[in-house]
Amino acid sequence: MFFRIVADSFARRPRRKLLTAAALALGIGVTTATLTVALDVGDRLEREFRALGANLLVTPQADTLPLEVGGVDYRPVTEGAYLPTADLGKLRTIFWRNNIMGFAPFLDVPVEWRISGRILPDSLARTTLVGTWYRHDVPVSDGTIFTTGVASTNPWWRVEGRWFADGVPATQNAEAECVVGSSLAQRASVRVGDVLTVQSGDRTQTLDVTGIVSTGAREDDSILAPLEIADTLAGQPGRYRSLLVSALTKPEDAFSQRDPSTMTPAEYDRWFCTPYISSISHELQEQIPGIEVHAIRQVAEGEGRLLGRVSSLMWLVTFAALLAAGLAVAATSATTVLERRAEIGLMKAIGAGNHMVSALFLSEQLLLAFVGGVSGYALGIVLARLLGQQVFGLAPSSRMILLPIVLALAGVVVFLGSFVSLRSVARIEPAASLHGE
Amino acid sequence: MAQRSMFWRILRQLLSASRSRLGVALLALVSGAAVCSALLGLYLDAQSKFTREFRTLGANLVVSPPPLAGSEPALVDAAVMDRIESRRTANVLAAAPFLYVVGDASGRPVIVAGTWLDEVARMDSWWKVDGRWVVSRDDGSECMVGRVAARQLGLAAGSQLDLRAGDRSVSLVVAGIVNSGGSEDNQVLVNLSVAQQLANLAGRIGVVELSVVGSTGQVNGFASQLASALPGLEVRPVRQLTEAEGAILGRIRGLLFWTVLLILVLTALCVLASMAALAMERRRDVGMMKAIGGSMSRVVGLFFAEAGALGLVGGLLGYIVGLGLAEWAGEQVFGMAVTPRWQVLPLTVALSIGVALAGAFPLRLLGNIRPAEILRGE
Repeated sequence: MFFRIVADSFARRPRRKLLTAAALALGIGVTTATLTVALDVGDRLEREFRALGANLLVTPQADTLPLEVGGVDYRPVTEGAYLPTADLGKLRTIFWRNNIMGFAPFLDVPVEWRISGRILPDSLARTTLVGTWYRHDVPVSDGTIFTTGVASTNPWWRVEGRWFADGVPATQNAEAECVVGSSLAQRASVRVGDVLTVQSGDRTQTLDVTGIVSTGAREDDSILAPLEIADTLAGQPGRYRSLLVSALTKPEDAFSQRDPSTMTPAEYDRWFCTPYISSISHELQEQIPGIEVHAIRQVAEGEGRLLGRVSSLMWLVTFAALLAAGLAVAATSATTVLERRAEIGLMKAIGAGNHMVSALFLSEQLLLAFVGGVSGYALGIVLARLLGQQVFGLAPSSRMILLPIVLALAGVVVFLGSFVSLRSVARIEPAASLHGE
Repeated sequence: MAQRSMFWRILRQLLSASRSRLGVALLALVSGAAVCSALLGLYLDAQSKFTREFRTLGANLVVSPPPLAGSEPALVDAAVMDRIESRRTANVLAAAPFLYVVGDASGRPVIVAGTWLDEVARMDSWWKVDGRWVVSRDDGSECMVGRVAARQLGLAAGSQLDLRAGDRSVSLVVAGIVNSGGSEDNQVLVNLSVAQQLANLAGRIGVVELSVVGSTGQVNGFASQLASALPGLEVRPVRQLTEAEGAILGRIRGLLFWTVLLILVLTALCVLASMAALAMERRRDVGMMKAIGGSMSRVVGLFFAEAGALGLVGGLLGYIVGLGLAEWAGEQVFGMAVTPRWQVLPLTVALSIGVALAGAFPLRLLGNIRPAEILRGE
């Protein structure tokens, strides 16, 4: 009997039911879309944040205190410790290898320099040569080649002309290349195509200028050349002094700030298997001997805060979508009850209790919630794709786990939405409603 | 004249007679408008909130004299700070001068950075300090030491540090150990006057760092203003921050725009559905009025007036509720209230009236149906 009444109600009022289901499907669709994007936004923005550059700095463990002002190390090249570049392939074999987006080693050499055919004033005669990689092929022990350098760790560096070719020139008579910082180039009027001679101690090197680089930082006042050239000038073949690493990390939270040595084994496993900046540093330090890893906290901290803000904003928006869906259901269910006063009055008159009538209405609505929820989920996936494509140029991955969640939400929304009208069912007097108001 | 007063009387009757039905419609309108106004408010304010958030990343403008030969850092008169201070606006969160000196701490060379530590505290709020900050720029007896430097020099908060440079020396108490993750980790941070005295460079500074709130354009604008006020000095935006900021903000803004638009459309559709349901309840009234001789345009006008009034009231009430919602949401997301924007009010009210009128639109379709058919029911 119960089911017959429900089925009857659907058969007799298909349009009204369709309207409610459509409203619900729309609401659930938007909720699914925002939920999908909210779950994905962290990963997407995290990639965006790599535009801020490296978040890890690697230095030798046994180093003396760097005498660094404005990014320029004033220690002589003979002082302090160095690290071998041969170890760098290991960065791609550690547990978190896929989170390592790129790295670039650096070696600064104070040099005296000349531009061929011109005499520089004394005030310009000394500068710093920064040895690094632009796009260098690093052999990894698993047989692959990982191409990395400042192109991936410092993406905001802009070059006029072109970057230097990495490595030592293959043929004997080809010149090594370099790029010159924009501010230095302006003061010494260096142009692309000039030939420079740099000298450190008794070692000299000629360099072709292939580009003028603008970094917005201290490199603007220096010469950038392949690391191998700096190595030769400093007399430290195959070495570097500091390494910038850009890694995809999970923003810091209260858990990640704890000292790993005080964790229980279960907590330690959880910490170890989460790409926190601290666990990646830890892993790096374990795998590569003699290094010390510092988190560039300026970047890491700001990132965590911003990501937190954005995701709470997305949760809020999701909540607003749910609210709108609930609103639609509440309005339609209220009109349903109002419309069907006479029917309810009749049911009550022939002996149905308030519970019976409410159960009838509720099961109708829950059925609608199911239909609306499933079609809303499908709609939501399409919407999320469009949204992801529009904002990030990349569709978010759809998650099946959302379907039961979304269905449950639809049920809750329908239940809360019909709550007020169900209460008014109890107030309907059979005689009065049959009489017509 | 009589007709006009009749119009208003019927309208009043319509609004007061079926309270429960109108209540449902009004509820839908108010909550819809509230969601709209809250989201619009949040959206319009998000940009400025996020640019402020980026300032936790530290200085984004650097003022420096053009560098001198090689390793000699260039210096400039400290009077530059007065000129910067005089151009300081509310958007400048912090401005700190720096003077770097190579000092000697128990036989080891270390960089001593002289600055205004109170401004640095505001600029580099992400620093983790073990101990406490030096709170006054006039404090000449305390210093802060970077994490790495402290380890190598064997210092902790509260210990004594003797710095020497040439034949000058100064004795300081370590107030706190700094973990910045940057080059400060290797330095000793003191107040400017201490560094000047140590280096025998009274009234000289090396660079000035500023943290300026605003979009990339605004920051660049402030930079060029500053550059023209400080001839002979280089004013450089820190490109790493300004560019990443622009890119990330663009993404966030796009994300917000599309989701908010989606929800606005959704809310409008939902309210429209319930307004349409309400309007269809009125078909009997329309039939009756036509039967007793009302012209179609007058009758429909009546119901549009009803819907419009509902929309206006719903929009206004919704705006007020939305203000509260936006304030709450701002606290939740940004930790501070959202500044109310006047643009939200006309937008919300217009949207609400528009939706209400659109909901009443199906009544027009009744025009070509004969009254008898409507009154008979279907």
